[in-house]
Amino acid sequence: MQIFKLCMKVIKKKLPIMSIYIGVFVMLSLIMSSNISKETEKEPSFVESKANIAVIAEESTPLTEGLIKELEKNADFVEIEDDTEAIQDALYFRFATYILRIPEGFTQRFMSGEEVMLEKTVVPDSYTGVYIDMSVEKYLNTARLYVRNLKDIDINQLVEYVAGDMTKQTNLVVTVPEDKQVDFVYSNYFFNYFVYSLFSVLILGISTLMMVFNEDNLRKRNACSPIPAMRSSLQFFLAILVFTLVSWMIMVVCCVLFNLKNSININTVYFIINSFVYALSCAAMSFLIGNLIKGEGSLSAVTNVVALGSSFISGVFVPQELLGSTVLRIASFTPSYWFVNANNIIAKTSNFNLKKMEPVFSSMLIQLGFTVAFLAVALVVGKKKRYA
Amino acid sequence: MVIKVENLVKRYGDLVALDHLSLSVKEGEIFGLLGPNGSGKTTAINSILSLLQYDHGSIEIFGKPMTPEAYGIKRDIGVVMQNVAVYNELTVYDNIDYFCGLYVEGKEKRKKLVQEAIEFTGLQDFIGFYPKKLSGGLLRRLNIACGIAHKPKLIFLDEPTVAIDPQSRNKILEGIVELNRQGATIVYTSHYMEEVEQICTRIMILDKGRAIAQGTKDQLKDMITLGEKITVETSGITPEHIERLKRIPNVLSVEYNGVLVISSGKGQNNLEYVLEFFKKEGLEYGKIYSELPTLNDVFLEITGKELRD
Ligand SMILES: Nc1ncnc2c1ncn2[C@@H]1O[C@H](COP(=O)(O)OP(=O)(O)OP(=O)(O)O)[C@@H](O)[C@H]1O
Ligand SMILES: [Mg+2]
Repeated sequence: MQIFKLCMKVIKKKLPIMSIYIGVFVMLSLIMSSNISKETEKEPSFVESKANIAVIAEESTPLTEGLIKELEKNADFVEIEDDTEAIQDALYFRFATYILRIPEGFTQRFMSGEEVMLEKTVVPDSYTGVYIDMSVEKYLNTARLYVRNLKDIDINQLVEYVAGDMTKQTNLVVTVPEDKQVDFVYSNYFFNYFVYSLFSVLILGISTLMMVFNEDNLRKRNACSPIPAMRSSLQFFLAILVFTLVSWMIMVVCCVLFNLKNSININTVYFIINSFVYALSCAAMSFLIGNLIKGEGSLSAVTNVVALGSSFISGVFVPQELLGSTVLRIASFTPSYWFVNANNIIAKTSNFNLKKMEPVFSSMLIQLGFTVAFLAVALVVGKKKRYA
Repeated sequence: MVIKVENLVKRYGDLVALDHLSLSVKEGEIFGLLGPNGSGKTTAINSILSLLQYDHGSIEIFGKPMTPEAYGIKRDIGVVMQNVAVYNELTVYDNIDYFCGLYVEGKEKRKKLVQEAIEFTGLQDFIGFYPKKLSGGLLRRLNIACGIAHKPKLIFLDEPTVAIDPQSRNKILEGIVELNRQGATIVYTSHYMEEVEQICTRIMILDKGRAIAQGTKDQLKDMITLGEKITVETSGITPEHIERLKRIPNVLSVEYNGVLVISSGKGQNNLEYVLEFFKKEGLEYGKIYSELPTLNDVFLEITGKELRD
């Protein structure tokens, strides 16, 4: 097992560099986890935000007073002058995002059943305006109902009725299904991040081994020894496999430990299986890269370009939904894309059955296909290079 | 016969690196392959070791055909390559241990052998160093230690002393003689004729992939007509003097540029005549000495060019 031991020693020499990648992985994971848990805390609740509005009332009646009172619930009032320039300034500087004008005679016309409207001036594209619109409409529509159905209703009475109705607030219930209580967003991110961390570590370790193993003088020197070529190749592959497994295991343990409360479930098992399949294809790809690159100098550059590049295009840093279709089409020629794809499906799945898991399995199969293809190309390239 | 090579031909494209090379090495010899840069020494060694595919010829080691799969033969061979082949990721000790371990299974036995190799090459103070931290000479010594630690019966050393200071070089040469004394057969390549002359029991001179001469150093020197070279540091030599010197019997050539060099053929010694000539002519002279031919003279006479680069 001389060659196997040699490989282990070579890797040991590279541990400091590799631990940088693992360190970055752990740190980013911790940052991510704290961010995500903050985000998810507020996710199920629905908050109406208060807008700054200004009301320019040209008359004051019980109806308009009632409306203003109603709006107070959802908005903060600011005072502005009734002057075109002042109004424009207020909107421009966002002192107010919504300006409501109650024209003179409004109440009278409203009470007589006319279709009267209030004038509004809003900051374009401001979504807070929608809440105000809703409130105004709700108030006036309710009032209109009374006016239409109860002929000759007293204005004070009307305002009282409407105010009563308005307090009967509909409660918005955001339902979260029982088994979705566990939060997979975190695991999803964590495992997706393998595309950077695990891949980098594997490229670094395996390519280094390949370069050492294939260095011309050392290869010749080893060829002089009585160790059969087959046996040394086997030991070499064994070393690569052990290295891959150990790196993968360390990262899986990190993933599970940092996120223990969300990890004891079937989803995690699927995440782990998928990541294992991915680790194999990373190893094969690193093997290919190791056959292609020349010096140690280019190694770290290649590591960064390949690992970071595939992380970007396959939706690790930016969700796949936000990537353009061309990018995704290119990405689908990398195993990383299918790995992330499978992770995203696993994260969304709650009741597992074979049918639901089909896309996950096919993603894994595609990754295995890549593994075989990379290995085949690497062997051809390696052979060509050796006899060149 | 430890090594038997017949009609070895190796081409790199149009270049014939080895041109029908035949050689045989007997047990206990220090066989020297001497030749200028690019003469095919390394190509010959690598072909013999089956590291290269050759175009024609046959190679036997220990009486058996040498092939890439001849692991039984390889077990008894030690190799010190011209290009240092050690792992930068391993310390001096681990490097020697690794290469020794390719040949020797037992841990205890290996430990002893590694220790011996370290002492043999004088690397005791550097066992924890990584190769990148070693000087060129120390690196060469490590390369040698890695090649010989397992006590092989047959050792190939391809220019092991390139870029080494004279002191270390002498130690290495002594070491090689010692290995030979302990029973190893040695194939040694170099383009330094002094080294080859100093340690080799038999020498083959290579030029452009062809063996142009072989034998012991005395046999080689006997092959050429030059018998003696007399050098005189003097001034005031006229063309007429040179003409008269040339008339001394057995003198082959007379050259003068600052120093006077008179080459004579074998048989008759001319130092006495030359001294007498100087006395008679009343010429002043400084140092005067007579040399026997070197391998460089052999090479010069056969190929018409200097061996030195
Ligand atoms: N891989 C190669 N491809 C093409 N030509 C080569 C190759 N290796 C060696 N040669 C050529 O073959 C010839 C013999 O080279 P070789 O290395 O055997 O010489 P050498 O005697 O060992 O020289 P040196 O003293 O410089 O080590 C040279 O002309 C060299 O240029
Ligand atoms: Mg050479």
